[in-house]
Amino acid sequence: MLKLENIEFSYGDIKILKEIDFHLNKNEFIGIIGPNGSGKSTLLKNISKLLNPDSGYIYLDKNLLNDYSFKELAKKMAVVPQDTKVNFNFSVYDLVMMGRNPYQDRWGRIQKEDKRKVKEAMELTDIVKFKDKSIQNLSGGERQRVIIARAIVQEPELLLLDEPTASLDINYQRNIFDLISDLNEKLDMSVLAVSHDLNLISQYCDRLILLKDGKIHSMGQVDDVITKKNISEVYNTEVDIKFNPFTERPYVIIVPRRKGNSKMINNDFSVHLICGGGTGKNIMNILNDLKVNVTCGVLNRGDSDWEEAKRLNFDIVEIPPFAPIDKKSVAKNEKKIKKADLVVVSGTPFGWGNLDNIKVLNNFKEKEIVFFDDNLDKRDFTDGEFTKILAEIEEKNTVYEVNTDKELCNLLNTKYEEIKYD
Amino acid sequence: MFNKLSYLHKILFIIVILLLVAVISLSFGSINLSPLRVMKVIFSQGDTSQSLNVIVKQIRLPRIILSFLVGAGLSIAGVVFQGVIRNPMVDPYIVGISAGAGTGVTLAIVLNLQFSFLFFNTLPLMAFFGSLITVYIVYNLAKTKDKVPVVTFLLAGVAVGFVLNALMSFLMVIGTRDLQKIIYWLLGSLSSSSWTDIKLMLPYFLLGNIIIVFFLKDLNLILLGETSAQHLGVDVEKSKKYLIVGASLVTASVVSVSGSIGFIGLIVPHIARMLVGPDHKKLYPTAAVLGGIFLIISDDLARILLSPMEIPVGIITALTGGPYFIYLLRKTKKEIW
Repeated sequence: MLKLENIEFSYGDIKILKEIDFHLNKNEFIGIIGPNGSGKSTLLKNISKLLNPDSGYIYLDKNLLNDYSFKELAKKMAVVPQDTKVNFNFSVYDLVMMGRNPYQDRWGRIQKEDKRKVKEAMELTDIVKFKDKSIQNLSGGERQRVIIARAIVQEPELLLLDEPTASLDINYQRNIFDLISDLNEKLDMSVLAVSHDLNLISQYCDRLILLKDGKIHSMGQVDDVITKKNISEVYNTEVDIKFNPFTERPYVIIVPRRKGNSKMINNDFSVHLICGGGTGKNIMNILNDLKVNVTCGVLNRGDSDWEEAKRLNFDIVEIPPFAPIDKKSVAKNEKKIKKADLVVVSGTPFGWGNLDNIKVLNNFKEKEIVFFDDNLDKRDFTDGEFTKILAEIEEKNTVYEVNTDKELCNLLNTKYEEIKYD
Repeated sequence: MFNKLSYLHKILFIIVILLLVAVISLSFGSINLSPLRVMKVIFSQGDTSQSLNVIVKQIRLPRIILSFLVGAGLSIAGVVFQGVIRNPMVDPYIVGISAGAGTGVTLAIVLNLQFSFLFFNTLPLMAFFGSLITVYIVYNLAKTKDKVPVVTFLLAGVAVGFVLNALMSFLMVIGTRDLQKIIYWLLGSLSSSSWTDIKLMLPYFLLGNIIIVFFLKDLNLILLGETSAQHLGVDVEKSKKYLIVGASLVTASVVSVSGSIGFIGLIVPHIARMLVGPDHKKLYPTAAVLGGIFLIISDDLARILLSPMEIPVGIITALTGGPYFIYLLRKTKKEIW
């Protein structure tokens, strides 16, 4: 039905779409999601011929999109825009009738067929009762149904929707998506809908495309796209995934900022974090939310923990990518640890490459150290050397073990109070 | 009450008013005639006196027909420009047409140009080409790649208008002895109307209208926004181009014989819209007839008020149109469309 091959698009020098490649089968319902500025709407505009891609091909039923005239295209494809405000006093009936435009001649004479189609569409969308009202006197949800009715009378094979429920109340959101789903199933329309509401669209569509920075980050069945990993990677926020018991589709829930942060608004409390390979991301966000001073090390540049620490503007002891830890950076790291009120060790595995990050702790006495995730023996890739050092550290210092983010928060709060009232 | 009538009844009603106004207007003047007498003169052959025949058929009739054409033309162009630009505050002169025509005429007067083409005089020709050249420049200034964004078009029109107005003022300062002639033209007047004027403007007037009618349906869709129109199968850029060309032709043809008569192109579309709604298939004929009526009456006033002296009709339209427009603004505020 619709096929995109290697679409690239830029506004001026800024590349908006990169290497977009996908196809939409007949009768399929695909949802496009992604954060603001990820190129969702631009992609839709390229597909609806409002914008021309810089390179790549878009096929609609085996013909190039550019080979269609606007009139021919309007018979194959209808678009429901994000903003459906109409500034003129057209009646609902007249507005729906405008959808027949591609089937009418120059003079816009209305045939019996046109009237019949308009009547059917208005019944289907349940707007017959507003027939003679001015479009300006309708609510957002009612207006959206009028615009969808207008799209229906175009008799399209493909329906494009840009944020169809962006400004609607929850009852209308359901109503509109139920309607779209009916069009997809009963009228055999293929549907491509852009939405920022992950949960809503996930309950209805067959496949999802997740965009990030103008690229397809992931694409496929809803279950495969809506995962904790994908969503937190793309949206840079912590979420949890549950399942909607009615549809058995995944459901994203937001994990709010941790409680207790209000106590720690001062940044006279310093924490040094030892992590790597992405195991420290969550902890960094917790620490960032608590607004404490954070130092990190030693991290290889390009490591995903390094990227996150960089994003959060932490003080990092860094070394080149894949380089082993050298003596100089160990010394630097030791200095930072010395200054810290608390050391946190993430659940990262330890091998010979990063063992120095742990060894350095052995130089301290009476330091407060928090080990995250106590699955320690599984993380030892040094034939027991790591475990041995760990035992030595435990003897000389105060060691805590935490297993969840929440435990870490509580512990941090207690530690902070102690220091404050000392 | 009027609003409950069907569109057909409304337009018939307005046309009847037009005919009444036309006949009454034919009776006024240096010699007052009864409407019945006027009808007799028009439809009879020869048996009335020669002088009456000349007064009615050669002096008053062309003037009233021309008034109608000018009023209708300005209103039509107003409807089109307001629709294309999707802004109710736009009149046909917004794209610099009056400034262009004015500059052409001023140039001709100051330089004392005398030429004629076929049987056309210097001033109408200069006005006509002055306006068309201006629209051409404005259009091309606004063009970026293959599109003409409405806002750029508007701004280009305003900017070019300013430049031309400055040029005009400069020419006026140089040619002070012709000042009165120039100002009289700029204010707009129908006092020297003749059948020749009608012959001069009619071809362009009709051509412009044919183009407009051809794209009238698209104008409704463009009102929904250019993207929506495109999604509904309209080649927006093409329609826009033809509509602008059509409306400019109509305006240029009108300005060439009447000077720049203000306010009609701004107000009449509003009144028509209040009567029949935003559908251009209804709006176009309604605005045309209403505009015609409006200018015929204004021209009557221009002839009668300070008789035997004539006031430029542009002053009358501005004096009646301005306050009415303010009244509309205050009354409806938001719902200008």
